[in-house]
Amino acid sequence: MTAQVKVIKKPGRTVAEQVYLPEIAKGLGFAMGRFFKNTFGPKASKEIATVKYPEERIEYPERFRGIHRLTQRADGSPRCVACLCCSTACPAQCIYIEPAEYEPDDPRYGYERYPSVFMIDELRCIFCGYCVEACPCDAIRMDTGMHMPPSTRREHFLYDKETLLSIPGRDGTYLTANPRHEPGDPTHPGIDREHGH
Amino acid sequence: MPKFTLNGQEISFEPGETVMQAAWREGIEIPHYCWHPGLSVAANCRMCLVQVESGRQMEMPQLVFDEDKGAYVPATKPKLQPACQLAAADGMVISSTNDEVKAAQAAVQEFLLLNHPVDCPICDQAGECKLQDYYYTHQATLKRKLTEPVHKPKGVRFGPTIVYDAERCIMCTRCIRVCDELAKDHVLDMRERGNKNEIVLAPGRELDHKYTLMTEHVCPVGALTSRDFRFKARVWFLKSGKGVCTGCATGCNTHVDYDPRYGKVYRLRPRDNPDVNKFWMCDDGMMTYMRHDTDRLDMPTEGRGQERRAIGEREALELAADKIRAVDPSELAFVLSAQSTTEDNLALVKLAEALGADRMYLAALGGWEGDDILRSDDNNPNRAGATHAAGDIELKSVGELLSDVQAGSVRGVVALGWATAESLKELAPLATLDSVVSLTSHVGALPAVAAVTIPVADIYELDGSFVNEKGISQSFETVLPPPVGIEPAWKAISDLGALLGVDVGFTDLDGLRQSLLESAEAAQ
Repeated sequence: MTAQVKVIKKPGRTVAEQVYLPEIAKGLGFAMGRFFKNTFGPKASKEIATVKYPEERIEYPERFRGIHRLTQRADGSPRCVACLCCSTACPAQCIYIEPAEYEPDDPRYGYERYPSVFMIDELRCIFCGYCVEACPCDAIRMDTGMHMPPSTRREHFLYDKETLLSIPGRDGTYLTANPRHEPGDPTHPGIDREHGH
Repeated sequence: MPKFTLNGQEISFEPGETVMQAAWREGIEIPHYCWHPGLSVAANCRMCLVQVESGRQMEMPQLVFDEDKGAYVPATKPKLQPACQLAAADGMVISSTNDEVKAAQAAVQEFLLLNHPVDCPICDQAGECKLQDYYYTHQATLKRKLTEPVHKPKGVRFGPTIVYDAERCIMCTRCIRVCDELAKDHVLDMRERGNKNEIVLAPGRELDHKYTLMTEHVCPVGALTSRDFRFKARVWFLKSGKGVCTGCATGCNTHVDYDPRYGKVYRLRPRDNPDVNKFWMCDDGMMTYMRHDTDRLDMPTEGRGQERRAIGEREALELAADKIRAVDPSELAFVLSAQSTTEDNLALVKLAEALGADRMYLAALGGWEGDDILRSDDNNPNRAGATHAAGDIELKSVGELLSDVQAGSVRGVVALGWATAESLKELAPLATLDSVVSLTSHVGALPAVAAVTIPVADIYELDGSFVNEKGISQSFETVLPPPVGIEPAWKAISDLGALLGVDVGFTDLDGLRQSLLESAEAAQ
């Protein structure tokens, strides 16, 4: 079997192209035409792909991993139960959590714990999203649609619990679409000896 | 020696041993929850069921679904026996891995997880939980029970040290047996039956004996948690080093669990040693790790009371050498420490010998109650080692040192360690002397009266050994690096010897250990 060879002819140059100067004039004419159209022409006729950041901004794609936020419960407390799954999954080791225990008279006592300290070093973070994947409570999300605000000081990138709780999601709320059943709620599966069985 | 065959492997056993014991000694694990080598046999978890394939087979009736008939029909299956209760007999052929046994193990595992809350993310046992391990190795099926699990009390405070979660409990009764058999205090028991089973305290009592943390240690699941360790760390972040408890002269072997990221020790666990502590430790011993972080001396200091100020490391050694030079060796007292390693004590003895001083004292802690279970009457881990380092002579006490100081026969003191039974007030005569040098890891009454203090490594930061009250010398390893600029006491003493221009006779730890070995051989 012989290979079929298709010969493509090299495009030649016309005399006008080889003279060079008419082509230069044509090119300059095209560039200057665009320049005047985009600078002085009516807005609709402009063909610019870039935006004038930061005055103009393009919205990030829906699944963009922005800076973290801690989601809240209906009463404003963090959904986080300080299980340390996120800091275990974190390849950059940028999450520091200190768990604490609810008081014995709290309905959540025994069922849950909460973070007394929750700190993310956003400079060390590589924005891989593993913490969001690991979270069993939908407590940490990266759906803020924001990248990191710049700063000249290192400590401004250490986001503590209050900061993380104060960042809303892209929809402007501090909750998530996934409902919670709090201990003590009638919908919560845990029933203590006084209330059932 | 009689032998039986387990999964094709011959295992020899002492007459009277159970199959589980013999297998455990050989290092073969038959899955189990309620059996513990140091406790009596309860045989209630049914996880260690095995089939005895030799001899007459006992059979049990069961119903099996018949596809053709479309109905359950009677059948039989072999009767399995718990390995923990099965006395080994010569020539027995046992399987713990055949299909019948595997099916039983999977069924037991599923049964134990029937009402389990599966709150692993907030459970402290996660990572070292047998329910997790055996789920992967022996069950690995989805949960079939879709109805609401039975709920039981959570977060019950059993006492000052232990919190109980009945929902996680598998009712293996190990904790009850630890209280009964180790602590000899029947404070825990079980109530109700079936899925309402729970562990309860004796009426009017709290779990407050000396071995409460052992109930948490033997708990194979997260039902009992220690209030000290609770929520402090995830166990998969912890690394473990080998240590010896500093609580008393028993010298229980320990695992020192620390987080290498923060250089922080989180807990101690008993390390099995049949000659010393078997499988156990007491509560006070388990909590000795807290000494490590609290009241550390991190800078060399000069002066006393209000005039105390931090100085450089080299400056401190030179100042200490000056203070020692200023006193005639015959009036110089050397205070060994029953809380320091044998090596550190020997280094100080060698410095004293090189200087020609022969006044040796021993500082030790007091105020402690022993018992006839594990706890020694002496709460110093190395009194025997310090005495041996000084050449097995009767060492004088700190009380005698104080009277010698008051009599004017002692004018300078070089003290090792921070531990004394005497209070700051009682040690006041020492503060009248100009030449008091303290080599210490922590602050305390003895360093407080010193004119110069030199910080040295703590017990987790050095290689060393303790001699316990039975005369067993037990060595342990460096777990954590010491803080920057801080060295073990023997090293500081060697530097001090060089500054004083005397030959202390050692340059490294091996040299010290060699002379310990030689003196031990000479004694025999």
